[in-house]
Amino acid sequence: MKLCVLVKQVPGSESALRIASGNTWVEDAAALFEMNESDNYALEEALQIKESLGNDSEVVVVSMGPERVQKVIREALSKGADRGIHINEIPEIKSDPFATAQVFANVIKVENFDLIFSGLQSDDVGSGQTGVILGEMLGMATATLVMATEVQEGSIKVKRELESGWFQWVSMSTPASITIQSGINQPRYPSLKGIMGAKKKEMKVVDLSTAVTIEKQQSFANIYLPIADKKTEMIEGNVDQMVSRLVDVLKTEIKVL
Amino acid sequence: MPEREILDLDVLFVGAGPASLAGAIHLKRLFNESGCEASVAVLEKASEVGAHSLSGAIFDPRSLIELFPDYKDRNIPFEAEVKEEHMYYLMKGKKLPFPYVPPSMRHHGCYVTSIGKFTRWLGDRAEEEGVDIFCGFSGTDFVYDGDEVIGVKTGDRGIDKDGERKPHFEPGADIHAKVVVLGEGTRGSLTKKLIQKFNLMENCNPQVWAIGVKELWQMPSGTVTPGYVAHTMGFPLGHDIFGGAFIYGMQNDILDLGLVVGLDYQNPGVDAQHELQRLKTHPWIRSLLADGEIIAYGAKSLPEGGWYSLPKLTVGGAMLIGDSAGFLNGQRLKGIHLAMKSGMLAAETISEAFAADDFSAASLASFTDKVNSSWLKNELWKVRNFHQGFDRGLLGGLINSGLGLFTGGRGWGIKDRLPSHHGHELMQKGTAEDRYADLEFDGKYLFDKVTDVYYSATAHEEDQIPHLHVHDMDICITKCTEEYGNPCEKFCPADVYEMVQDSDGKRLQINFSNCVHCKTCDIMDPYQIIDWVPPEGGDGPGWVNL
Repeated sequence: MKLCVLVKQVPGSESALRIASGNTWVEDAAALFEMNESDNYALEEALQIKESLGNDSEVVVVSMGPERVQKVIREALSKGADRGIHINEIPEIKSDPFATAQVFANVIKVENFDLIFSGLQSDDVGSGQTGVILGEMLGMATATLVMATEVQEGSIKVKRELESGWFQWVSMSTPASITIQSGINQPRYPSLKGIMGAKKKEMKVVDLSTAVTIEKQQSFANIYLPIADKKTEMIEGNVDQMVSRLVDVLKTEIKVL
Repeated sequence: MPEREILDLDVLFVGAGPASLAGAIHLKRLFNESGCEASVAVLEKASEVGAHSLSGAIFDPRSLIELFPDYKDRNIPFEAEVKEEHMYYLMKGKKLPFPYVPPSMRHHGCYVTSIGKFTRWLGDRAEEEGVDIFCGFSGTDFVYDGDEVIGVKTGDRGIDKDGERKPHFEPGADIHAKVVVLGEGTRGSLTKKLIQKFNLMENCNPQVWAIGVKELWQMPSGTVTPGYVAHTMGFPLGHDIFGGAFIYGMQNDILDLGLVVGLDYQNPGVDAQHELQRLKTHPWIRSLLADGEIIAYGAKSLPEGGWYSLPKLTVGGAMLIGDSAGFLNGQRLKGIHLAMKSGMLAAETISEAFAADDFSAASLASFTDKVNSSWLKNELWKVRNFHQGFDRGLLGGLINSGLGLFTGGRGWGIKDRLPSHHGHELMQKGTAEDRYADLEFDGKYLFDKVTDVYYSATAHEEDQIPHLHVHDMDICITKCTEEYGNPCEKFCPADVYEMVQDSDGKRLQINFSNCVHCKTCDIMDPYQIIDWVPPEGGDGPGWVNL
């Protein structure tokens, strides 16, 4: 079985991020980058499936971005992925899941993967669409928010997270693209031998910046820090007056009643 | 149950700083020349190379030129060559230029450098040479065969705060190596064990440390000259506390502001992070930082003791390099080039040991001879009594240092070796004095510690045993409160130690997740009951360009 994992490198949540001039992204130079959290679970899921199948299955890790993303690809290789593909950054599509999926589809269609795993969303942009759009472009079945997987002959059964504590089991024929919810498994740490071995594994670098026509669908107009806008109103009076004012606020100002 | 991984290597450097990385690169090349196929690896506790590296820094390229003669063509991420340099004596509200700056204090030909960026660059070069770098692994203990070090144990991962295994528990590994080189930085936790076990400080002056705290400020476009260098003495430390400030201009309008404070002060109330805030109340600093914004914070300790505080450098199977040994020139405020050179001399020793297939104490002892016959000793010898002079205050220190210039480093112009004292022993009981009553933290210009720590991007897994081991917590609430007023709350630059009052009375709370790994507590605690041990691999500060 051929398994693909899409990993994204995102600014670490501990970095004190600053908005870059132009107000359309954060300053990369000030951040420490790490593997997107849910992608790490997606990777672990793929590795566990590969190990459970025990045959000549293969896990291929694909990431797009500047040269620094090779760090997360190498991290995945040291955990047990077999080879990596680094797609060079195409700066103008930074925030566009459709264009991103288009580039991924272009690169990986020749691989004929049986399963494509990705995290349910990236920690930086958080649109949660790339895995689904990519599946659609490659004519695959898709499932999102996956909490458990069961691989069967020619199909995969997945448990999806719905709202209000409900779950849904869905069987899909492969090939399929599924997006993984964080917490589905217990991601492993890379081992020392894994780190040494990763150096010998293939990492292909692909440059598509001139080869594809990007159909850009969206871009950032402006990003800004949340505006702290705290208003405090002390409600005074007797109990009846206070209750009536409170109901009024909830109905007309906060609009939750 | 998962078993401990065992990995057999030939040479293991602990700590991916300039000392280890330069050593590993040099060693790999020497092995290649001699046709030796031995493996060389570096263990690093940070999540990536450079994330725990902090320095001023003004970088003397001397060792780099030896390692990379073509360094000028290699796009090394220096900030800038030193362009203009100033030395000021600060008084509250005033600044006076020093009338004379001795050549040894000038920085012509040196580079303003972010050690974080430089170390990352050096790490990439090491990997190109075939060195394995294991990031996210902390070395917690040695593997011994009799009295010979034969490896390092890395820490377990996935142990909860009660010491129980969590579901994703992963045991540490035993890395076996013929030679272990400790380049852990200042007050390394393995280094401390080795020094104690083999009594390596016998007949040496006690090591004397200082702490450096720094903030990076993003200034408006076009206002910072990369390569600008200023050093100060006087305010805010005064004459009785060793140290001074540095202000360096970096690329992209970043101003680097830091303060070094000797960890041999008498007033237990001294707080280096607060001293840095006091420094910022000086009108000149205010004008320099006007319209700027803080972007990063960090702290580290540094070994100031100099030549006579260098421990014995080798035991069977292991050696000490860089800040772990104490290769730092306090007068020139520089250590990176010495650290690199020490790593390279260690590499030459190891290469010979492999040729002779002898890794015993006697074989590795030639490292000391190599240090003694290199420029490393020349440089440190000339300033061998530098720090000791400051036992008599700033004026004494300057006079001693000035006399040393004419006598090749003699103490007070005549003595070959001045003694030094353990810094923590100089703290005076019952004299805690609040130097910061008039500091007002506004969160925009002057910061309390927690705010500064936020800018250090520090993170630790919360559910683990605190990595700061206080061996007797009763002392904290009895003797220490009485005698010193709990100086841990002051000397820690990251608000790790906090005396709290709850229903059971007063107790010490250890906010270990704030820890920026500077080791000051381990050094400065007056009762020497704090042991800094590495937390889970990958935890700690997330520095990018400090």
